[in-house]
Amino acid sequence: MSQELIDERIGKEYSAGFVSDIESDTLPPGLNEDVIRFISAKKDEPEWLLEWRLEAYRGWLEMATPHWAHVDHEPIDYNEISYYSSPKSFEDRPQSLDEVDPQLLEVYEKLGIPLHEQEMLAGVAVDAVFDSVSIGTTFRAKLAEAGVIFCSISEAVHEYPDLVRKYLGSVVPRRDNYYAALNSAVFTDGSFVFIPKGVRCPMELSTYFRINEAKTGQFERTLIIAEEGSHVSYLEGCTAPMRDENQLHAAVVELVALDDAQIKYSTVQNWYPGDANGLGGIYNFVTKRGVAHNRSRISWTQVETGSAVTWKYPSCILRGDDSVGEFYSVALTNNCQQADTGTKMIHLGKRSRSTIISKGISAGRSSNAYRGLVRMSPRAEGARNYTQCDSLLIGDRSAAHTFPYIESRNPSAVVEHEATTSKVSDDQLYLCQQRGLDAEKAVSMIVNGFCKEVFRELPMEFAVEAGKLLEVSLEGSVG
Amino acid sequence: MPNNLMQQPLAAASAAAPNWLAAAHAEARERWQAASLPTRKTEQWKYTDVSAIDREFVPGRAVSVDAAALDARVPDCGGARLVFVNGHYDPALSSSDPAAGLHVARFADADESQATLIQAHLGSVVGMDRHLFATLNSAALSDGVFLQVDAGATVHAPVQVIWLTTAQTEAFAVNQRLLVLAGDNSAASVVETFVSFEGEAASFTNGVSEFVLQRGATLNHYRLQLETGSALHIGGVHAHLDRDATFNSFHLGMGSDLKRIDIVIEHAGEGAHAEVNGLYLPRGREHIDYHTCMEHAVPRCTSSETFRGVIADAASAVFNGRIHIHPQAQKTSAILHNRNLLTSAEAQINTKPELEIYADDVQCAHGATVAQLDELSVHYLRSRGISRDEAQVLLSFGFVNELVNAVRSEALREFLRHLLAARFSRDGAALTQEADA
Amino acid sequence: MLVIENLHARIGDEDILKGLSLTVKPGEVHAIMGPNGSGKSTLGHVLSGRPGYEVTAGTITYNGEDVLALETEERARQGIFLAFQYPVEIPGVSNMEFLKASVDILREHRGEEALDAVTFMKRAREACTLANLDHSFLKRGVNEGFSGGEKKRNELLQMMLLEPSLAILDETDSGLDIDALQVVAEGVNNMRNDTRSFVLVTHYQRLLNFIKPDYVHVLADGRIVRSGDASLALHLEEHGYAWLDDEVA
Ligand SMILES: Nc1ncnc2c1ncn2[C@@H]1O[C@H](COP(=O)(O)OP(=O)(O)OP(=O)(O)O)[C@@H](O)[C@H]1O
Ligand SMILES: [Mg+2]
Repeated sequence: MSQELIDERIGKEYSAGFVSDIESDTLPPGLNEDVIRFISAKKDEPEWLLEWRLEAYRGWLEMATPHWAHVDHEPIDYNEISYYSSPKSFEDRPQSLDEVDPQLLEVYEKLGIPLHEQEMLAGVAVDAVFDSVSIGTTFRAKLAEAGVIFCSISEAVHEYPDLVRKYLGSVVPRRDNYYAALNSAVFTDGSFVFIPKGVRCPMELSTYFRINEAKTGQFERTLIIAEEGSHVSYLEGCTAPMRDENQLHAAVVELVALDDAQIKYSTVQNWYPGDANGLGGIYNFVTKRGVAHNRSRISWTQVETGSAVTWKYPSCILRGDDSVGEFYSVALTNNCQQADTGTKMIHLGKRSRSTIISKGISAGRSSNAYRGLVRMSPRAEGARNYTQCDSLLIGDRSAAHTFPYIESRNPSAVVEHEATTSKVSDDQLYLCQQRGLDAEKAVSMIVNGFCKEVFRELPMEFAVEAGKLLEVSLEGSVG
Repeated sequence: MPNNLMQQPLAAASAAAPNWLAAAHAEARERWQAASLPTRKTEQWKYTDVSAIDREFVPGRAVSVDAAALDARVPDCGGARLVFVNGHYDPALSSSDPAAGLHVARFADADESQATLIQAHLGSVVGMDRHLFATLNSAALSDGVFLQVDAGATVHAPVQVIWLTTAQTEAFAVNQRLLVLAGDNSAASVVETFVSFEGEAASFTNGVSEFVLQRGATLNHYRLQLETGSALHIGGVHAHLDRDATFNSFHLGMGSDLKRIDIVIEHAGEGAHAEVNGLYLPRGREHIDYHTCMEHAVPRCTSSETFRGVIADAASAVFNGRIHIHPQAQKTSAILHNRNLLTSAEAQINTKPELEIYADDVQCAHGATVAQLDELSVHYLRSRGISRDEAQVLLSFGFVNELVNAVRSEALREFLRHLLAARFSRDGAALTQEADA
Repeated sequence: MLVIENLHARIGDEDILKGLSLTVKPGEVHAIMGPNGSGKSTLGHVLSGRPGYEVTAGTITYNGEDVLALETEERARQGIFLAFQYPVEIPGVSNMEFLKASVDILREHRGEEALDAVTFMKRAREACTLANLDHSFLKRGVNEGFSGGEKKRNELLQMMLLEPSLAILDETDSGLDIDALQVVAEGVNNMRNDTRSFVLVTHYQRLLNFIKPDYVHVLADGRIVRSGDASLALHLEEHGYAWLDDEVA
């Protein structure tokens, strides 16, 4: 990604906050079985999927909003949200990118995600999801050569119904939790990835999510299946316009790593965080989970700088012997943002190993919590976990919390957890300023240093972006 | 409270309590009646099931106890000793050794000025809404111990309070309360020992201790939870530290089906310091739960906390250690360490060290580990001819011994060594004698 | 008598010992020298049965018994003692307690009468004095917070109390000042007799000025590449190991 693109994307304020004036086909707000039938019909889905959705919806109706997270927000009126919005020009689905409304493509260019393959950074295939629908996936032909399937989940439902039916909900069951149930009922689009046995995916796969329409929720669903011995690296980016009201994003991501497979899932989450007074912003309530079979590895890396409220715990079920789970996270909150994020490592397999590195940065009046669970089941002979949770506080009105749950039922399992807190000290600032750096640059340098163990895990071009993002997000955090 | 839980003991307490406790009773009872027992869905009780106390209990009765049998189970640190049997003060087992600057009174026979002092401080540390079982304790108060240390006084010999439960034919409940008021710049030690003689009937002890440490006071506190069998205990230790006060608190939990202790320390004056160490050693099917909370409400206070557990057989343990730094509490230093050893395939530990931080200029850290004994250490011992089993015993003992070695009272340290050596089936008596010979 | 034949051992995937043979007869003192990483400590660990060290080929017998078939503690009970290059700290377990447990079991195994507490204490104190350690070390945690030199002397102390028939001293002389070195040497010399043998792993000829070895071996890349008498050590001290390369190649 070129420097200009980065600069453009990062801009000065929340630069992804523009609204695109694209005619759209939006369902009126409200949620009931008819809405679900409408979505399903619109997508021409098979009967089983409609039933699946309705079942999830009925489950959701019986569930209560979870309150255990360390976040505080107005209750969400689910009838105020529109559950389907598609750009008008999608009525007749484009067959290829060339047929996509040029205005839409422009939106993505503005975001720094040109969809035209010739402009693409070589080696990254992109699926872009705009409000409720996927607008096109690049590099499909090249991927197909390797046998890799990368398309929108809606297409997958039609083209690979057996795979979808087999794996959808296999990692995150329909009634797993309140938001996952909601997603299962109303999910509109998302990405589908299938890497066949023994294949090393020839390029990074990437999805960009964008919420554009007012009062819409985004409920995407991602399903990645890595067959035996395969490898894939997947990147996810998110943006949304600046709006005064809160918008809901409730996604579900399911990863399946069969024996000896490796999935690396990286996210740079930059949803609109609301303004400095906490007005507006995205509510990001996401369920991400992977199942790792024998000797497989699932690695979550996330850089979370956006959203008004984040509720997110990318997790690994280490089902297989010698499986590996990793979670590397930077979560930055500023102004009035609230984040409650972390991971769960459920050790079932013998000698399964997990590593958790979490870096929380709280500035302004924000609140940033790490919440994690490490569970060693009775059969997790010789399993190991190492967790390191560091918090950095900037300014004396922010808050940082650590809530690690450790449950062990196996005497041979080893769990090590450490947490520290620190601040950007006046001495550090003074030293930097002495060397001619302004305070903001100094803070950004210190923060980047604090996060480097996580940035190291990101694919190259994301790492650069992540650093810049932090810089922007920290704007105004020092006097 | 559904099922009118604890109605009989509450009625008995009303009948026995001095009049001036009536006001405290009323409010606490109202709250107790309105509350319901926590379930596994209650965050604070996620890993501890209290359904065992959801049954009818009769009040504890005074019975006579063989002094030698008691002495064999409790430490002897010299100094004043108060013994309560099933909640009733036993003058025959008690001894008073009036030390200068120390005043010991029981709620039941407090004179007017003492009653006034007790009323002023009772419940001031553990508020009504802090802890359901402290509320129950206040509701069921009839007697308790009030210790007052004069400003500037240094009391060398520890005061011992022994809370004994012993067989009754029906399941019985015992309410025990300690209130300590340590005056400005005073220094004293208190040893609380909870112990039981085994019997067929279950007992439920609710022991709540409140500590008010005034400016510059130093208090060494030891709380040994040694009840055995089906003697259940749910209780708490609540301390309020004024400016420059120091509270050192040592805890040991072992021996019975259920123990749950909440330790809450409030740093309310600048420069206050708390050191809390603890050991939990459940085995068989025992369950022990320590919930600790360091409330740092003002600047420049320090706290350090170390808890270790060895969980054997099919036993389970819970440790929840919270450090809460309030927005004003700049320059706080707080650390917490928790280490656990599981010595059997059925043993279980649930631990959660928590940080909740609202101030930036602080030094806070915690660490928690669950592990087996260090393989290299086992090998080192084996390379000297010691069997694997024996090596494990030695190392487990060593693991807890580190905290015992840090105990300030020599007499108590010796008592603990013997007790733990026996627990880890080592010949403790011989060893310590040799080491001292 | 210790007989090691064609010993191959690995740690993880790494082959460390590659065909090592050595025979130590009763009453003999052998010195093993060799560059860092050549496998000297590995030999000691394999002899003591440390977890993680896998023997892939070869045999070790001690007095005719297959050492590799024995558990670590059984080897110790057969009289094999290893003074660790890096003794392990065991906080909370007192040195005294540890020594008593160890002495008791070894005596029992040798069919000797158990020592009563007073006699044991007396011996432990004597050994302390010989090892030039203050008696207070008996009360401290095993090696806990001991300085490097104190740890080595604590190993010596254990050797003196346990009275092994074969002692392997892995760099017990490293990091010692000259007085402490003499303490170690005296400890060994006092224990030397017709039946007890020693293997001294060392980098320094100076130890051998005090303890006269019967044989000196050079261990390089997992094998013994040169054996000789005490003069070999002098030669090594002067010329290093480089000159051996040609011969090994
Ligand atoms: N756990 C391990 N994993 C892999 N290799 C190891 C391990 N432990 C030791 N080694 C390697 O084995 C080789 C032999 O080590 P060893 O300790 O036996 O050497 P040494 O001859 O005693 O050296 P020194 O003179 O430095 O003490 C070294 O290359 C070392 O790096
Ligand atoms: Mg070595």
